[in-house]
Amino acid sequence: MFDKFFESLYNKVFVNVIVDRLKTTVYIEVCNKRNVVESAEEVFKTTFYNAEMKAFISQYTAETPFNYITFLDTSVDQGAVPTCVKNKTPLYRDLSASITKCYDDKWTFYSSQEELYALERKYDKLGIDFIFSPFTILASFFKDKTSKALAMYILVQDGFISLSIFNESELLYAEHLDLKSSIENEEMLIYDDIDEDLDLDLGEDGIELDDISAIEEIDSFEDFGDIEDLDSIEDAEDFLESTDVEEKLHENLEEEELPLHEEEGFNEDYQRFLLIQSSINEYYKDLKYDSEFIQNVYIADGVGVSQDLKRYLEEEMFLDVYVRQIDLASSVGDLARVELGYEV
Amino acid sequence: MKFSYIKPRKKSVFTPEFKLLFTFFSITIFMLVSTYLFLLFKDYRFDADKKEIMQNRSDLNISINQMKEQIQFIDIQTLLSEKIYTQNSVLKESITNLFDLVPDRITLSKASLLENGLILYGITPNKDVYNFMLQAPLRSIFHKTYSSFYPAENGWFRFVSTNYIQDESLNLNEVNEEEIEDED
Repeated sequence: MFDKFFESLYNKVFVNVIVDRLKTTVYIEVCNKRNVVESAEEVFKTTFYNAEMKAFISQYTAETPFNYITFLDTSVDQGAVPTCVKNKTPLYRDLSASITKCYDDKWTFYSSQEELYALERKYDKLGIDFIFSPFTILASFFKDKTSKALAMYILVQDGFISLSIFNESELLYAEHLDLKSSIENEEMLIYDDIDEDLDLDLGEDGIELDDISAIEEIDSFEDFGDIEDLDSIEDAEDFLESTDVEEKLHENLEEEELPLHEEEGFNEDYQRFLLIQSSINEYYKDLKYDSEFIQNVYIADGVGVSQDLKRYLEEEMFLDVYVRQIDLASSVGDLARVELGYEV
Repeated sequence: MKFSYIKPRKKSVFTPEFKLLFTFFSITIFMLVSTYLFLLFKDYRFDADKKEIMQNRSDLNISINQMKEQIQFIDIQTLLSEKIYTQNSVLKESITNLFDLVPDRITLSKASLLENGLILYGITPNKDVYNFMLQAPLRSIFHKTYSSFYPAENGWFRFVSTNYIQDESLNLNEVNEEEIEDED
């Protein structure tokens, strides 16, 4: 009772920490009973809790004992499964070593227990109050879209991609992808390919151009001779109907406002595209999931991806892609406030 | 917790330093209050004891007064008993003297002691024996002496002697009267 009384006298401070690959973003919001009265953001070029970060956080947390430290879960071994029934989750994944939470009694998000404990140990001097899954941020951010028709939702973070497919608020598929591990895997594959190339017996006649499959692939483009006539196909109208005009307009406005990161994000965007492509393939092929055809893709861009990713998805996979900018730190803070009963 | 994997740490305005200070002051205040209450209790007990002692004192005073009254009453009774004893002794002495006064020749049949007198009944061989041997001592004792005779069957005389002692104020007159009577 006394605590409730004292709590009402103090402002609440939400310290939202987003740990990227090379930097840490700390976003602080000072809230009274209803509104955010003050906010501040600082980016530190470290992934550890240092004195500079401590000084920045302390100047706000020292004002009130009611401060809440919130982290976005960066565990590699995390994800979501499309059921909340305990005995059905093993169908999708073994969650015995994971901490699980059910979202609206519809789907379950999980994260590696070991990695969460490691995160708590790493920041034990700062202390952690909330750790949120990127999938909850995704569901919260696209709350207006997930309840509608089937679409894929992607949260792009620095080094991670959280991908989910929702159909009328029902999760169909979800996967958390680690960009770094995928790059390492790819590099290993490249090395394997080089080794294989070195072992190639070229034969006495040398290389024959007819054996190169790439040339055959170029020839196969001849089949697209009538590609210009595609617009005249009546079936295309179905695709136009599924186009989210409102989101398109919103996206165009954002594109005008925000600078593009064309050059620096090119390789990563391609990497992201490959990861998304492989995930979609898995979704279509794996019989565990209710595979339905995906037409729309909504990307919550937390790092500022280039237009390449969108272009890859649109041109290579014929998807309608809509990109929304997301402030991860702010979104994490919103979730923390929701946890404490605030209306966001 | 709806979305978070972990529960938030318990928040409280009571920091460890505050708790230490609070504990210290709490103990101090508790000791002061308990001392105050102890003193209040002792004060109350003192007042109660004081009232009880006052009541006892009052009761004792009443008892003392009662005892004084009893002592006074006993003193009076003692004096009265002494007086009675003295009177009885005097009376006894008087009776002894009276019977000593009676000569052998006169026989008393009855003697009545009055508050201020003596009535004697008896037999005398003759009036002279009575007058000289008994009436004379009686007259020396009593202020008034009346004698009456009537003859008995054997020739003796029965007599009734009535003797009175008068108050001092009347004594002189009576003495004079008696003297006159004697002269007669």
